[in-house]
Amino acid sequence: MSSLSTSDLASLDDTSKKEIATFLEGENSKQKVQMSIHQFTNTCFKKCVGSVNNPDLSSQEEQCLANCVNRFLDTNIRIVNGLQNTR
Amino acid sequence: MGLSSIFGGGAPSQQKDTTTSAKAASNPIAIELKNQIAQELAVANATELVNKISENCFEKCLTFPYTSRNDPCIDQCLAKYMRSWNVISKAYISRIQNASASGEI
Repeated sequence: MSSLSTSDLASLDDTSKKEIATFLEGENSKQKVQMSIHQFTNTCFKKCVGSVNNPDLSSQEEQCLANCVNRFLDTNIRIVNGLQNTR
Repeated sequence: MGLSSIFGGGAPSQQKDTTTSAKAASNPIAIELKNQIAQELAVANATELVNKISENCFEKCLTFPYTSRNDPCIDQCLAKYMRSWNVISKAYISRIQNASASGEI
């Protein structure tokens, strides 16, 4: 992949700059979701997946994973609310 | 570019992104810049995934004093982790969608 030079970047007009800003905003929020999924999978896999002896998830494991994310988010919301109330 | 293809690298969201692509044709430099950004994000995501899976599967499959490897377990663990990723992703995204539909966020 060719890399862009500084003069290439300096030559960008305002429309392109705006376009890139919008693009970055979108990628940024997508990336936040991605990183959250990485974190939740890491946490919940540790808690829900027992021994590894086949490549499929059992239905309990699957249920546990979904519950785990939802409870984590519940906890997160409650913590935020709790902190807001103590202010 | 094997790793980045896992996360759809090289195909940035230009086509999907109706807000920006609907406008006049982009400057080639802008397109190139977007491609590079998307590519780097894809690599970062793939790296994160590889690291997390290595950590988790090392923990699940290998034991003290680490004299032997356990490749079958690692392979199964990898498959399990990817499936878990998909389950979590679905659960999280549907929760976000529900929350935004009900005006919570």
